[in-house]
Amino acid sequence: MPRYDAMGDDAFDASPAHHTFGPPVIAGIRERAELGRYPIRGWGARRAVPDFDDLLLLTASASRYPLEGYRERCDTRTVLGGRRAGRPVVLDIPITIAGMSFGSLSANAKEALGRAASLVGTSTTTGDGGMTPEERSASRTLVYQCLPSRYGFNPVDLRAADAVEIVLGQGAKPGGGGMLLGQKVGARVAGMRTLPEGVDQRSASRHPDWTGPDDLKIKIEEIREATDWQVPVYVKIGATRVDHDVRLAVAAGADVVVVDGMQGGTGATQDAFIEHTGIPTLAAVRLAADALADLDLTGDVGLIISGGIRTGADVAKALALGADAVSLGVAPLIALGCNAPTYRLPAAGEAHADVGAGSEVDVRAEYTALGTAPGHCTHCHTGRCPVGVTTQDDALAARLDPALGARRVANYLRALAMETTMLARACGKSDVHRLEPEDLVALTVEAAAMARVPLAGTDWIPGR
Amino acid sequence: MGELIMAVRGPDGTGPDGTGSPEGADDIEFDLAVMSTRHVNAALRALPDGARARVVNPAGRHNLAVGLSRAIRVRIAGPAGYYVGGLSAAADVDVDGPAGWGVGENLMSGTVRVRGAASQSAAASAHGGLVVVEGDASLRAGISLKGGRLAVAGDVGRYCAFLAQAGTILVGGDAGEALGDSLYEAVIYVAGRVRSLGTDARVEDLTEADVAAVRALAADAGFDHVDPQNVTRVASARSLYHFDTAQHAAY
Amino acid sequence: MCGIAGLHLLDPALRERLGSMVTGMLRGVAERGPDSAGVAIHDTGGLRVRKEVGDPLAFADRIDLAGQAGSRALAHTRMATESAVTAAHCHPFVAGTAPAADASLARPGALPLGGTQLCLVHNGSFANHATIRRRLAAAGVMTETDNDSEVAACYLATRLGAGDDLATALRRLTATFDGFFTLAVTTADSFAVVRDPIGAKPAIIAETDQWVAVVSEYRALLGLPGLADARVYEPEPEEVYLWAS
Ligand code: SF4
Repeated sequence: MPRYDAMGDDAFDASPAHHTFGPPVIAGIRERAELGRYPIRGWGARRAVPDFDDLLLLTASASRYPLEGYRERCDTRTVLGGRRAGRPVVLDIPITIAGMSFGSLSANAKEALGRAASLVGTSTTTGDGGMTPEERSASRTLVYQCLPSRYGFNPVDLRAADAVEIVLGQGAKPGGGGMLLGQKVGARVAGMRTLPEGVDQRSASRHPDWTGPDDLKIKIEEIREATDWQVPVYVKIGATRVDHDVRLAVAAGADVVVVDGMQGGTGATQDAFIEHTGIPTLAAVRLAADALADLDLTGDVGLIISGGIRTGADVAKALALGADAVSLGVAPLIALGCNAPTYRLPAAGEAHADVGAGSEVDVRAEYTALGTAPGHCTHCHTGRCPVGVTTQDDALAARLDPALGARRVANYLRALAMETTMLARACGKSDVHRLEPEDLVALTVEAAAMARVPLAGTDWIPGR
Repeated sequence: MGELIMAVRGPDGTGPDGTGSPEGADDIEFDLAVMSTRHVNAALRALPDGARARVVNPAGRHNLAVGLSRAIRVRIAGPAGYYVGGLSAAADVDVDGPAGWGVGENLMSGTVRVRGAASQSAAASAHGGLVVVEGDASLRAGISLKGGRLAVAGDVGRYCAFLAQAGTILVGGDAGEALGDSLYEAVIYVAGRVRSLGTDARVEDLTEADVAAVRALAADAGFDHVDPQNVTRVASARSLYHFDTAQHAAY
Repeated sequence: MCGIAGLHLLDPALRERLGSMVTGMLRGVAERGPDSAGVAIHDTGGLRVRKEVGDPLAFADRIDLAGQAGSRALAHTRMATESAVTAAHCHPFVAGTAPAADASLARPGALPLGGTQLCLVHNGSFANHATIRRRLAAAGVMTETDNDSEVAACYLATRLGAGDDLATALRRLTATFDGFFTLAVTTADSFAVVRDPIGAKPAIIAETDQWVAVVSEYRALLGLPGLADARVYEPEPEEVYLWAS
């Protein structure tokens, strides 16, 4: 079982067994003693928490009949925001790409994600710092975030967006503001954010012009007026008091609620925030779905779940628990090449290189220089990403070819969609959205309690 | 949109007020007593450059004249609620009365003028343009300012210019506590007293360039009570720009 | 998260018009709190509190708010944050002892004035009310609901009972409670307003020789007699504004 890295150092896998002052704890204390401040890193929670792996699907046999793969239909089409928006978001698959900023990510990475999302008919999302033209033109469906900092937020890009996502928080740091260390605040990023080049950027944790759902309601109306009531308004929350927060987002007028569990990633956040705040995605999805059901708004108000989604099985389980779609951040970055020992450049002159073609360059030494290794890296905050994903350094960024990256991410998303439909068909569903909690059982008491599905082999749901 | 047609008066200028004043002679009039905010905003956005409009019976409604993008003049004949003139560019919006939170928020260019008091977060995150408040502005005026200009004839409340990144703020009266907290590169000029400075804000010497900037801003705002030679310049000490152990408490 | 409106008459000649003035104010904050509404009216005969789930405007009609006379009133519209949408969770909250009243104080009905009884409406949410609730309970002061605002009402009543005057109790509250709040409080003879140190929630005060009003939004003032000549301002964070008759 992966062990919780209590103090945010990379040595966690080397720890023989958990004890109070194990090697990672020692490393963490040393780091604090040297820095005099909190450790900051990228990615989401690394401690072991109950997750979708603790659930199993009850696929068909005698009592229920499966659908044949390929031949028999299993729809993945997903409509979000149909309640009020003139132009709801229509996706081919219920698997979207989460908000990640240009700044945290390189322009090439943003472009690759946009292209990948377009290739598979789904949406991608801007981040703190605004919308880049590359990203807009590469993305068929682009969700525009409105964050507390409002960096780069402007009405022109707002009207160019296909949906607006008002961000109240994110799973990695619910209640905390954004952070981008100076090494990543290069000229273009600084210009877009109206910041001095090279500052350690700290963003606000509350929006500048409203506080609380009663005033958020007015803010959402303003966004609707400025977009002529055409595009859906999402509200994104970090998963903490999910039941209350989903109800309030709905009361404030959200068309779609995005709930980001504690495993949700970040480009740079205090380790104490990442590991010690929020609740697991598994618990959050059920709370959010139940809140919408209690309001009799299931399907009318969309529910997007994020935070640690990796496989089609995760997607199928999230949908079964009530999500309309899922959103992925870290996983597409891994598909792009994050944590790979090498990066690959397309063969010369080949515009549409095969993902396996081109020349491969070994960068293990660069991971070592960062104090980490491929498979263990969470060093996005340093801006020295060896594979060009999370950097603003031109030479490093050039290691990521947007066309190649797009194809890899599109492949990955297609594979997830195929896994999802495969599992849905096996459960006898002609639409992935017809998966239901009764298709699930839990492997552990914890997961059974959080997801409110029976422990496998029993009809026991803890607390029921 | 039948109600819209009914509610629009002009260009003969004989609106419900029946004055037909020379100032409003060419104004197209929209009456919020019979039209929804949504219809009025859509109608305003459809006006061509150079058009003039009067919005009557605003009664403190929110989100009036937001998202404008053409060089039109809009006169709001009474009190406005939250975000009046927000997310706009190029237009000139005038409010004949007080305004709620976020007047001219995220303004890109053009002018929003409040002929009364403005509530919280005036000109929040404004990238450009000019927001003028002829009365007092309450808390957090100029918060997260991103290059726009804010001129307040009266006093500003606490936390003015919190996290302001770029742009200029002129306060004709006094400034409340924690002025310029966590300031980046925006500059604040205060004609009256400064109750207290926020973290990382400091008073700096006034240069000739400052005097010229204040003179220009006061002139654009129509303030004749501000002596450009006699203001306090507040800017960032830049000690929070980089993580530093010594600043631990500030984080 | 809500809309609040409070009205304190300085001119007894307006007594018969109190209900109609408050009705207009309630209408101005109705959109802020669509879940439920409540009013408390202080009159010579005592304190009347009514609160109900549902549309605030229909509520005002149902209880004939416009027809009610009095000297001081609080009104509230609620968008519930953490506790349930029931009449018991509605504001105004009444706390403290009213002589000869042993019935539940938070329930509708007339109660005699006196003692340390107070009424409170709140816009915002507290962040440490659970601990304060426990401390109050340990001292024998029990809240009736899990609503955070009720804790503030009970806290204030306890402080008044301990001998604080209302201004002192409110100052103590701002130092004790974390979170966001605009509070309006009435007692048998006073009317007070206080906000959290950050000033996170809106508040506007209007004052004339005849009345003092506090509202969440300016539009709730429209229609009050003499508004054009009123002194209108936003209360400073942490400062206690108090009027006594
Ligand atoms: S490889 Fe790059 S994107 Fe992946 S964790 Fe390391 S720095 Fe971040």
